[in-house]
Amino acid sequence: MVKWLEISVRTPVEGVERVSEILLEIGTGGVAIEDPAVILEYAARTQPEEWGVPEPAADGLPLVKGYLPLEEGLVRRVAELVESLDLLALSPAPEVSTREVMDEDWSNSWKAYYKPVQVGRRLVVKPSWEEYHARGWELVIEIDPGMAFGCGTHATTSLCLGLLEKYIRPGMTVYDIGTGSGILAVAAALLGAGQVTAVDIDPVACRTAGENIERNGVADRVGVVQGDLMNLLGAGADLIVANIIASVITGLAPQAAGALAPGGIFVASGIIRERAEEVVAAFTGAGLTVEEQLAEGPWVALAGKKQEL
Amino acid sequence: MAKRVSAIVKLQVPAGKATPAPPVGPALGQHGVNIMAFVKEYNERTAAQAGLIIPVEITVYEDRSFTFVTKTPPAAVLLKKAAGLEKASGEPKAKKVAKIPRSKVREIAELKMPDLNAASVEAAMLMVEGTARSMGIEIVEG
Repeated sequence: MVKWLEISVRTPVEGVERVSEILLEIGTGGVAIEDPAVILEYAARTQPEEWGVPEPAADGLPLVKGYLPLEEGLVRRVAELVESLDLLALSPAPEVSTREVMDEDWSNSWKAYYKPVQVGRRLVVKPSWEEYHARGWELVIEIDPGMAFGCGTHATTSLCLGLLEKYIRPGMTVYDIGTGSGILAVAAALLGAGQVTAVDIDPVACRTAGENIERNGVADRVGVVQGDLMNLLGAGADLIVANIIASVITGLAPQAAGALAPGGIFVASGIIRERAEEVVAAFTGAGLTVEEQLAEGPWVALAGKKQEL
Repeated sequence: MAKRVSAIVKLQVPAGKATPAPPVGPALGQHGVNIMAFVKEYNERTAAQAGLIIPVEITVYEDRSFTFVTKTPPAAVLLKKAAGLEKASGEPKAKKVAKIPRSKVREIAELKMPDLNAASVEAAMLMVEGTARSMGIEIVEG
């Protein structure tokens, strides 16, 4: 069913604010703005290794979009818009285009992006609304995508999950540094860890992690701590996992080595390929022997071992 | 969690009253973002500013998780509120539709300072006055 008219106005930069205002005045209730300058501003403040947004066209003018329901008075309102835009006397003059948009249940349609997925040999990540019948050996992590978590299929997460599967032994003490959604902490507990501490500096992440830990019934073994990851490491961990970024992991390696018990394992992910060597050097410098290096696409994960006594 | 930014989405929606309907739905839905999670968090964070339109910039990551920052309301929105205007003048040069005192301009400039590329409040006031003129709002002393 067609329900909305999408009105797109291409405008020179100086017109963005007034064009948005005019769209709001005719009753769009909100606008979406595609502004190359905003994209470039974000690009400039983001590390190249963390940036995957397509480059905007160099000569691209901003686009302001508003939506009106297909109902009486629509023609008059669009005419009003065109008239108001003319009066702005912008150069080049704003260009208006419209298209009809099907109605959708926006509060649910995004869910189509998420299905249960198998990660590693035993783990399955599933959103709560999907049914999944686990086979005997499978461990199901139930996590709903929210702000702090998208899908467990992202390479940096799946590499980590694979390494956790391999290195976690029953009863281990585990630290999850930069826990985000808590997915790795939950996985560690499901894989048999006796005590897991999940740390994140972001309160939103801590809240989400807490919910996910609760949802998976592992709250008795997993605790969440909010704070600066560097300061929270006590000694005696059997395994530390950190899925962050190369530069943070490099700085974290000595602290991680200090917090590990002899023979303990540091699993690090979120390392962009170009910086893997740097991280390996930091591991070695901190007295960790690289046991394993896995790669998927541009991402690398490492497992380093602290010397046995 | 490590991941790369895959999209930047900029919206202007009513504080405390965002819904999954357009423009939020189509803008975020195409990136597979949990729209209800956004709507809930946005409304919570902006509840105190109800009645105003607030710009928001959403950073979407490769794994479809996201973060967002809210900005100060557009100068035009604040000016209309200050002048009690429904609609700006279509012909700002010929038709003045309202007057506001310069003290109000200063107030708006101060509020908008964090988002304006202005070295001083005076410079920010000039920007706000420019917007006011383009809307047919006259500035009077006071």
